[in-house]
Amino acid sequence: MSRAGRTSLRALGGALLAVLVFAATAPGQTAAPAAAQSPKHLVWDGNRTMPVHLIPLRDENDELIVPTETDPWPYSARFTCGPCHDYATIAGGWHFGAMTTANSGRPGEPWIWSDTKTGTVLPLSYRTWPGSYAPEALGLTTWDFTLLFGRHMPGGGPSEPSDEEVLAHPEARWSVSGKAEINCLACHNRSARQDPSEWAKQVLRENLRWAATAAGGVGEVGGMASRLKETWDITDGPNLDDHLWAVAPSVKYRTVDFDSKQRYFFDLDYRPADDRCLACHSVSPKDEAQWNADADVHAAAGLKCADCHRNDLGHAMVRGHEGEAAETGNRAAASFTCRGCHLGENAAGEKTVVPGRLGAPFPKHTGIPLVHFKRLSCTVCHSGPKPKDGFTRVRTSRANRLGIYGVATWSTDAPAVFEPVYKKDERHRITPHRLVWPAFWAKRAGKTLTPLLPEVVEAAAGDILEPEERISLTLVALSQVMAEDEVPVLVSGKSVFAPNVDGGIDALEEAGAPADRPAYWGIRKGADLLPLVGDFDPAAEDKDPAVETRIQEFLQALGTVAVRPGEPAILVRKTLYRFVGGYLDISEAPAELAGAAGPGWLMDGKLLPLVPEFDVRTVAAKAGTEQTLTEEQVGLVLEALAQTSGDAEVVYISGGRMFRRAKDGSLVSDDHDAAGPVTWPLAHNVRPAQQSLGWKGCTDCHSGGSDFFFSRLKATGPLLTKKVDKLSAASFMGLGGLFQRVFGLSFIVRPVFKVVLAICALVAGALVFLAGLVALGRVAGFLDQR
Amino acid sequence: MVFTIFTILALGGAFLGLALHRFWTTREEARSTILYAEIMKKYFAWLALRTIQMSRKASPKAWWKYLKTLPLWREPALEKWLFIGFYGSFLYLAASGFFFAVFIPRGLFGYPLVGHVMAGGLFAVCLVIIVLFRGRDFISVPKPAHLSLSLLDPRKMGITPARVRIWAFWLFVLAGFLLTLSALLPMLPLLRTGGQRFMFEFHRYSALASALAAMVFAGLELFASLRTGTPPGEGM
Repeated sequence: MSRAGRTSLRALGGALLAVLVFAATAPGQTAAPAAAQSPKHLVWDGNRTMPVHLIPLRDENDELIVPTETDPWPYSARFTCGPCHDYATIAGGWHFGAMTTANSGRPGEPWIWSDTKTGTVLPLSYRTWPGSYAPEALGLTTWDFTLLFGRHMPGGGPSEPSDEEVLAHPEARWSVSGKAEINCLACHNRSARQDPSEWAKQVLRENLRWAATAAGGVGEVGGMASRLKETWDITDGPNLDDHLWAVAPSVKYRTVDFDSKQRYFFDLDYRPADDRCLACHSVSPKDEAQWNADADVHAAAGLKCADCHRNDLGHAMVRGHEGEAAETGNRAAASFTCRGCHLGENAAGEKTVVPGRLGAPFPKHTGIPLVHFKRLSCTVCHSGPKPKDGFTRVRTSRANRLGIYGVATWSTDAPAVFEPVYKKDERHRITPHRLVWPAFWAKRAGKTLTPLLPEVVEAAAGDILEPEERISLTLVALSQVMAEDEVPVLVSGKSVFAPNVDGGIDALEEAGAPADRPAYWGIRKGADLLPLVGDFDPAAEDKDPAVETRIQEFLQALGTVAVRPGEPAILVRKTLYRFVGGYLDISEAPAELAGAAGPGWLMDGKLLPLVPEFDVRTVAAKAGTEQTLTEEQVGLVLEALAQTSGDAEVVYISGGRMFRRAKDGSLVSDDHDAAGPVTWPLAHNVRPAQQSLGWKGCTDCHSGGSDFFFSRLKATGPLLTKKVDKLSAASFMGLGGLFQRVFGLSFIVRPVFKVVLAICALVAGALVFLAGLVALGRVAGFLDQR
Repeated sequence: MVFTIFTILALGGAFLGLALHRFWTTREEARSTILYAEIMKKYFAWLALRTIQMSRKASPKAWWKYLKTLPLWREPALEKWLFIGFYGSFLYLAASGFFFAVFIPRGLFGYPLVGHVMAGGLFAVCLVIIVLFRGRDFISVPKPAHLSLSLLDPRKMGITPARVRIWAFWLFVLAGFLLTLSALLPMLPLLRTGGQRFMFEFHRYSALASALAAMVFAGLELFASLRTGTPPGEGM
């Protein structure tokens, strides 16, 4: 019998039994169920070993999973782990409770919605952090949020919405995908089978309830919920109508890990291994080679992330920042800050904490003036990359989709995240931060900006945002008739555009080519660039017959372009080639086509270029840059959005500036708070002492041109423009650049100053000593008055 | 906070002490009774009256006139600039240091700090030169002491204004030395955080001692000059 059928029978039997039991025990039923349902909390007995987790797997209906039965359901953490580890308590933890917590805590890395097509870099968070937008305020449902960011979420929270939330958004497909319960294995699985990439793939396939089973290596999951009709339910079982495309998700358990009593062996860690944390919390310099990247000094010393970032069953992780103890009421947190562990000081600098946990060394800090400990966080000197001009661009797991491995490349360069940006934190101490410049389209009402979702922008923009796609479609069509060593290209100026495997186009710069070279369609053959149709005399009797065969192939290929304004044609001198009725039609070009040449679309007696000039101009401008929008595109999109947004003004944020259309239609930029960078403090990687700031002396920071104070950060954004903000490190700190320069320059004379002071102290001390001796000698009568 | 309270009490006490000395030595009513309570009553009445009189007289013009009468301007160029540097740096050091220590929770910072450091260097150099070339004028001449219980009797210790002035001078020099030392040592890679903290406090209390010594010295000098009719500083 199928799993679905068995479930239906079981449900019927259960209902019947319930009626009988109710009839028999109605008078006395008030107390008994409460006792039966009370969660069981495990209390540590003091033993430092980890119990073997050989436990029965249970599904989301709290039924025992028998791996060998037909179509078993995926295991449910709520019912498998929950009996011993109260699920509701865990659900309030830091990783899961963002939507429900009353205390947002110190700002952390927001979820960054990066959409290159619309030029969106939008920080989102369910916590009220400065610069981050609440997803629900933008119209994002938990379903949208899960599909966007579930790849790096540990389940629970938005990916396990309440039933009310599910009912409120019937357009979401929770009934098909199920909810992604808290994935205990994401952190606690010690097995090397734990696969975050598999989790990401399952989430993107909308196999939410199956994701934990697949990612944990508990079973193999096939099928895609995203391809199933919205009426499908897990109790329906396999999709009998389609075994190829819309295949329902199913699990094939690793039976070798079950014992004869259907108990599954979980290889768990009480304190998760670093790899589990780093799957979602990796940060690496963008251009750093893997072999040259260093680990955090604590990790190098043998500590695990969870040694400091501890939690109890409530999973309220110790984040390790000063002030956390007062913020959360967890007094023990004070001993897991840098100060607490290494100096034994609480946030106020009082020696109330026992230092040296886990063997933390006591720092000497020889010669460092006290003001540094009052005004700076420990992380300023010890964490993140060393300051350098232009700052260090990094990629983070969640922002840049790192750590998802497969045939396709998941990781992205966008958004551009920079560190270390030194600025004051909520305790007014200078602290290193990571930074991202937001970019989004928004409706403006007074000073308030309400970001527009990318799909809204895309719908209004039409084909303004699609020049790459049109060129790519044309090139892909032409590539059908290319020889093995030929690649169709579009040449414009110094750039040569060729199709790539992802359906986009890659731009290559041709060294030595003139910047004003007119655009043409061509073929790249080895190192040579040839025109798609070379110049020849169609009227010549000795012309190569292969040329016309080639023209026919091109016309046939262009005929496969999905969206085309007319029929494909190629004009050579005064001869027009068309493909009519399966044959090459050669005719004299009408007089109105005089002046035109090459391939194009024949429409209304005109030969239109294969792609509009706007497309070529746009991709040529962006070639070799990271930017995805030109000023012309932004102007056009703003115009298009203005037509759909009523009275509200629409603006675009990028590069630290707010862009809007002036009355004359030109694009102008203004300052706006919402355009400012979004930052969050960083703590790792902690560098070794010898690499800390100040190790080489005061001039590590205090000099006339130190990177610490005077490096400049140019704002980045999807818009290709010169109108971008440029901020100095000192301005982030809220310090005067001039003063820091004057103060820094004073360190040039400081060695001389020290020598002068030493001589003065020596002479003054000697004179005082002598005067004292004289007075003493007189009082004692050893010296006579002269 | 402790330093603030300590500073206010010490400077206030020194001021009241100097005023009492003047009251005691110049006013007839101070000797009209032997009752301390009565003396204090008259002292505070005199002090209040004097304060009102002084405040009425005080004006930038009056201060400028007074400054112009100082013998400093009549010194040879080298000495003149030495004393200008010395007095100027000391006044700036004291003003900036105590103002920020007492009124600004953050303490000394920014341009005032840069000025403080620069003035400190100037002060140290001037002080050393002055002590080296003028210190001999302030060597006191105590008699050889004989072992006796009278050594403990303040009235027989020979505490005269002239001797207090000399002690104030040497206390000022000692404080200057300690100030220099406590400014120098934290700049060298020698002290750990505890040592830095100690030196920070040590610097402040040395500054307080220096200010007290300067106050006593200047007060007695001023008083002596008023009594003898010589301009203050003439004796240096």
